[in-house]
Amino acid sequence: MSTVPSELAVESEAKGALPTGGAPTPARRVIATLMKSPAVVVSVCIIVFIALLAVCAPLLAVITGWGPYDFDKSAIDSDLGGIPIGPLGGISAEHWLGVEPGNGRDILVRVAYGAQVSLTIALSATLVTMTLGVVLGMVAGFFGGLADQIISRVMDFLMAFPTLIFMIALLSALPAGNRPVLLVIVLSIFGWPYTARVIRGQTMTLRNSEFVEAARASGARPMRIAFREVLPNLRGTIIVLATLAVPGYIGTEAGLSFLGVGVMPPTPSWGQMISTAVGWYAVDPMFFLIPGTFLFLTVFSFTVLGDHLRTALDAGDAA
Amino acid sequence: MLFYFARRILAAIGVLLLISLFTYAIFFLLSPDPAVQICGKTCTPERIDQIRSQLGLDLPFWQQYWQFLSGIFTGRTYGEGAAAIQCAAPCLGFSFQTNEPVTDMITTRMPVSITVAVGAAVLWMLAGIGGGLLSAVKQGTGWDRGVMMTALAGISLPNYFVALLLQYVLVVQLRWLPFPQSVQFAEDPLLWFQSYLMPWLVLAFGYAAMYSRIVRTNVIDTLGQNFMRTARAKGLDAPLVLRRHALRPSLTPVVTLFGMDFAGLLGGALITETVFGLNGVGKLTADSIAKNDQPVIMGVTLLAAGLVVIANMLVDVAYTYLDPRVRVKSA
Amino acid sequence: MSITSPRTISIPVPGATLLEVEHLTVTFPTSAGPVEVVQDASFRVEAGDTLGIVGESGSGKSMTSLAIMGLLPRGGTATGSIRLNGHELLARSDREMRRVRGDKVAMVFQDPLSSLNPYYTVGRQIEEAYRAHNGGSRKNARNVTIEALERVRIADASRRVDHYPHQFSGGMRQRIMIAMALCLEPDLLIADEPTTALDVTVQAQILELLAELQRETGTGMIFITHDLAVVSQVADDVLVMKDGRQVERGTAEQIFSRPQAQYTRALLAALPRIDDPFDRLKGTS
Repeated sequence: MSTVPSELAVESEAKGALPTGGAPTPARRVIATLMKSPAVVVSVCIIVFIALLAVCAPLLAVITGWGPYDFDKSAIDSDLGGIPIGPLGGISAEHWLGVEPGNGRDILVRVAYGAQVSLTIALSATLVTMTLGVVLGMVAGFFGGLADQIISRVMDFLMAFPTLIFMIALLSALPAGNRPVLLVIVLSIFGWPYTARVIRGQTMTLRNSEFVEAARASGARPMRIAFREVLPNLRGTIIVLATLAVPGYIGTEAGLSFLGVGVMPPTPSWGQMISTAVGWYAVDPMFFLIPGTFLFLTVFSFTVLGDHLRTALDAGDAA
Repeated sequence: MLFYFARRILAAIGVLLLISLFTYAIFFLLSPDPAVQICGKTCTPERIDQIRSQLGLDLPFWQQYWQFLSGIFTGRTYGEGAAAIQCAAPCLGFSFQTNEPVTDMITTRMPVSITVAVGAAVLWMLAGIGGGLLSAVKQGTGWDRGVMMTALAGISLPNYFVALLLQYVLVVQLRWLPFPQSVQFAEDPLLWFQSYLMPWLVLAFGYAAMYSRIVRTNVIDTLGQNFMRTARAKGLDAPLVLRRHALRPSLTPVVTLFGMDFAGLLGGALITETVFGLNGVGKLTADSIAKNDQPVIMGVTLLAAGLVVIANMLVDVAYTYLDPRVRVKSA
Repeated sequence: MSITSPRTISIPVPGATLLEVEHLTVTFPTSAGPVEVVQDASFRVEAGDTLGIVGESGSGKSMTSLAIMGLLPRGGTATGSIRLNGHELLARSDREMRRVRGDKVAMVFQDPLSSLNPYYTVGRQIEEAYRAHNGGSRKNARNVTIEALERVRIADASRRVDHYPHQFSGGMRQRIMIAMALCLEPDLLIADEPTTALDVTVQAQILELLAELQRETGTGMIFITHDLAVVSQVADDVLVMKDGRQVERGTAEQIFSRPQAQYTRALLAALPRIDDPFDRLKGTS
């Protein structure tokens, strides 16, 4: 996904070594290894915190007394063009992370709802691309022949696309409708080949391994071999790919929303908040710093976790 | 060898045709009637019909697509008789917003995008390869950790966020740089450089982060190869072993990435150009999307696809020279 | 350096002892504390002779050879003494060892494909070894290279010199590795499982080639293998290793006819003996 990542700065970048298919490492040992790394512990804490924020967004709205769409004219200075009253973008007991300039909406509550939108889209897209990628990758790698030909050609074609521009063109042409669902569909269409390519390669290796030969010799049906023998050995790869796909989709969704073709206002989204903040960055830097920091921390944490998972599972396989 | 090139070129043309077909189909199927859009608010049904037939919108899909496609190669005439409008090849139609030929809109903005892409590419290749090498050679040291943390931040920070941050700090707070402006190099070289500096840095940061991670992985892989041990066993000194035996295997795969990324940027750095107000192809794309200017969106999408497909092909050809194993197989 | 020196390991002959290893211990740090992969190994190689080091994988035989080359993997340390022609090697800096590697001690590795850099022609890789020590013009190095390739019986050497490793068969690649090792006429050649990755017929050819070249040049050789059958064909003296310790050492004749250690006897019993069908039956039953 080489054209997307840096323009949007984030995209699943599963180019390094992936755990090769092989005997699954006991989950407990992997977790024990991971928890020894402070970076992983911090990342997991951040992810849990963001997830809680997303889940508890409605609760937060009740506690603070501000809904995501409530204007607070008293928090902004209309004489100065609507910049928030008070230091640091209007941070106060009333608005914990300040307010948006121009309309005085509570940033904390909108960031929490933004987390909800962002995580929902990213996790759904991950689920869809993983399912599609694993199934199609396994079919191509395991059965080969015509199925492999067709799937591989489609993958080549989709990967030759200038993905970002095409996603934008597609999303701008699509009717308003349910934007999050459309985003998941578009992200999935262009995302699955990157999973499928890796899975296909590893399946091809596993197909020729001794335990698959043994299963075949004992008369097991192909579908049974695929699901009972090959799939469990792809577990490590799938976990790593999925963990690294999540930050990719979060970043891409934010980027698309930043460009105005993703989540549409008034539904809050981090990318879209930063996009609005472009007009205010000189007078109210907090407006882009806060959602930007949340976006960064989320992507960063998932990437750290994915990197360490990859190393842990790889080391486990080698041992 | 010749056969191999011919096959690659044919495949590339096929992919481009498919992409153009897909793009056209999406706009044909999903867009609201362009005639209504062009006609504006005060519009009669007769006028709409007139526009439709002038643009060929009353024809079935395949004919419209064919007209569009042949327009790219042979030019195209809209309407008939005195009202006819000529559109020279390569014709991508006219903007609904400004009535300018799309081809002209793109070519006038290409130099900006090329400047952005070339400057950023130089920076990110230097920083990415340098950082990756340093990190791999000093594996496990503070250097390694420092470079990898920076790289991790680089791939996790959205570039629009970095752009805003940089602009806020360097321009608004410290006043080290002026606000970026669209100037030609010949007009004011200093201002030109200052205007492009931030876009270069922002883009280079993201790509360099990704490249340094990949280069590090590749170099560490290569260092573990048996032929490295052979080279040491010959009595070559460590720096020479690294230079002569580790670099080429580690950096050859980077060529593929670079080709694709550079081509992608030539097709416009949407976000960076938009944030810094640079009038390149990327900003044109963003603007045309905001205004739903379909012929322009079509044009820039095809340009981007074309660049990526061509880059892909060039990379494949370059590979036959860079990797002897590929060279001999295809010969 | 002829092959007239006595073929025993116990009686040192002054001036003819090529390599003398005493109390060699190789240690690697692990998370569970330091691990000694080679413990207190002592042996010698006489000029023109072949020492076979036999052991299973993990017995420390490869680490012993890498310690002689000064090429232990990161973190590994060697203590004891390794003397080549009377000069201590372990005390040397990497820079000084560089002059020994290739020039005085050369090595042939197990997997010839991965041991050659796929990006360069075989000629260039041999030239490089030659020029690292002798300098001189590329043209001269190229002539030496072609000569070396001819010596290892590569047909059409002046054309093949410009080919890449993947264009050769496995046996050919190992010949190229041997050419590379011998182009500098080293005093000692370490062959680490040089035939393990090859077919049996190719294996025999390579062994024959090594023996022939050794006769011509008088190079001392350490032949590392897990295969006693191979050792019986090439070695004058044999060192048996297990779990980093040396189990037994002696002349080939002693080891094969009067093995002392239990482990050596077990290894010998597992060996199929083509010349004695009854033994063979005994061994498998």
